[in-house]
Amino acid sequence: MSAAAPALAVRRLRKSFGAVVAVDDVSLEAAAGEFVSLLGPSGCGKSTLLRMVAGLVEPDDGQVVLAGEDITRVAVHRRNLGLVFQSYALFPHMTVFDNVAFGLRRRGVAAAELHPRVERMLQLVRLGPLGARYPRELSGGQQQRVALARALVTEPRVLLLDEPLSNLDALLRDEMRVEVKRLQERLGTTMIFVTHDQAEALILSDRVVVMEGGRVEQIGRPEEVYRRPATAFVARFLGRANFLAGTVAEAGAVTVVRLDGGLSVVAPSRAGLPPGQPVHVAIRQEAIRIEAVSSAAGAGRVGEASKPNAFVVTVVFHAFAGQAHHYVVQLPDGRELEVAAPGAALPLPRGASARVQWSPEDVIVLPGAVPSGVAG
Amino acid sequence: MSRGHGWWLLAPALALLTVVFVVPVGMMVPMSVRPYVPLVGITGGVTARHYVKLLTDSYYLEIIGRTLALGLTVTVATLVIGYPLAFFLARTRSRWRNWLTILVVFPLLLNLVVRTFGWIALLAQNGLVNQALQALGLVEQPVKLLFNFAGLLIGLTHIFLPFMVLVLIGAIQNIPRDVEDAARVLGASWGSAFLRVTLPLSAPGILSGSILVFVLTISALVTPRLLGGPTYQVMSTLIYDEFLARLNWPAGSAQSLLLTVMVLALVYLSGRLARRTGARV
Repeated sequence: MSAAAPALAVRRLRKSFGAVVAVDDVSLEAAAGEFVSLLGPSGCGKSTLLRMVAGLVEPDDGQVVLAGEDITRVAVHRRNLGLVFQSYALFPHMTVFDNVAFGLRRRGVAAAELHPRVERMLQLVRLGPLGARYPRELSGGQQQRVALARALVTEPRVLLLDEPLSNLDALLRDEMRVEVKRLQERLGTTMIFVTHDQAEALILSDRVVVMEGGRVEQIGRPEEVYRRPATAFVARFLGRANFLAGTVAEAGAVTVVRLDGGLSVVAPSRAGLPPGQPVHVAIRQEAIRIEAVSSAAGAGRVGEASKPNAFVVTVVFHAFAGQAHHYVVQLPDGRELEVAAPGAALPLPRGASARVQWSPEDVIVLPGAVPSGVAG
Repeated sequence: MSRGHGWWLLAPALALLTVVFVVPVGMMVPMSVRPYVPLVGITGGVTARHYVKLLTDSYYLEIIGRTLALGLTVTVATLVIGYPLAFFLARTRSRWRNWLTILVVFPLLLNLVVRTFGWIALLAQNGLVNQALQALGLVEQPVKLLFNFAGLLIGLTHIFLPFMVLVLIGAIQNIPRDVEDAARVLGASWGSAFLRVTLPLSAPGILSGSILVFVLTISALVTPRLLGGPTYQVMSTLIYDEFLARLNWPAGSAQSLLLTVMVLALVYLSGRLARRTGARV
């Protein structure tokens, strides 16, 4: 066991159920104390991957390596991992104290040591006085805190969390996010967190693993996967984006993409995209700035402005959603863009002329055609 | 809807229960204290004789003891045989699962008398079981499996096993798999997780299955009569003979009431037990 070995490494893991390939050749690593999210839609294989790490599902192929030790064939109960379930999975016939003490008792920890350890852990998750209660006497948030305490008290080498916040209502979920992050920073436990909620993954993680169809689409820091998605799927799954098809017109200091409708979009230079290559660009809703123009004065002039990625558009839809104004605007070539503008701004009425503009850095160029199921 | 309305929904069931259960049992109370003179019949007056005899005479005490012992052993036997079966059926993902469940219920679809005669053919002195045992050299002389405790135990266990299995399947299916998985991830071996989590959580099913089988066993009539013969009595066959062979209705009433009280006491006690364990589940 070398000190440099990652806390957890998954190597070429594969699992199929009948004809369905749930996890297809997945490799990833987590450093000690790192918070890694497995993010993807339901059925993308993230939970199966987590269960293979826990030992509850046997992989068809590949390895699970814990701090340099191959545990692929080690029995579930000898792995010394923690697992927190979406359903909490508390023992309903035991008190909160006994729930938390369960793992320590299985490890033969003497009563004299067990009591203070359980009490300390209950304090840590702010359930100090509730040790004598039964799980059904607690709220959902409290139950999930018991589950966290139960999993953490044994000082697991890695804590696995399987959508632990999905059963909580929105307000409680925000609270528990903070709680989980706080615990992780305080205890320094390596955590693997499965979620389908992109905001949750971005907020909590040191690194995000985006999965789809049993495969890893991208691994990176939250800003990386958000700002520089490697695939159309990642661009689409993390935040809403506008997808526009075109071909590379110029590849130099900047990449210029000529859209199918004739307009040009300027993007940062990117290797491997020669002129003539069919591509599509993704522009996030909130990256687009929108401002009113008086149609009489502006129309012709602004379209020819020197600023890149500036277009005159017509507002065809507007809705106010508190934090943001949602617009659908029509480009000169007739295609539509979705725009999210700060909620504090004054709304633009439907039918108004407006100018949209976005910086080249906010343009994501992806090779190939626009993926199916994505509005252009 | 006001709270009182719901009680009307119970009315049909309560009316039926009153007519077929409360009234007949109530009628047996005065009957059970009437004197009975052999060759004369039921006479006037009041006596506690039947109760005293029932609770002091060694003949009756043996039958009461035997009935309770039979109830207990059949319950334990169906539980021991039924739990693994129910566990398998509750957890298997096999496509044969529904067929296997039907196979468990199948004995219930056969006529009780036919089933019992089947057991007589199997368990008799020169029946299949004894022939097999002797052919295998396991026993020299035929084993007595009929008209005794063993025969009744075998026959009743067979008949009541489906009840136990069906109740247990429901109880085991109600235990979330996540809870068992949690125990194992926390360091419990399969056996330890079963003993500390699965088994306690299936306790309500074990309790209701056991009550069901126990009550059915101590009140079963046809099977004990056919497999026990005319001399190996349990309470239900005793009551039957008392009423219909000896025409001693007062003694039969006293015995019936005792059996009823035993059943009610059991249901009451187990209800309390269920509330105590149920409070934690």
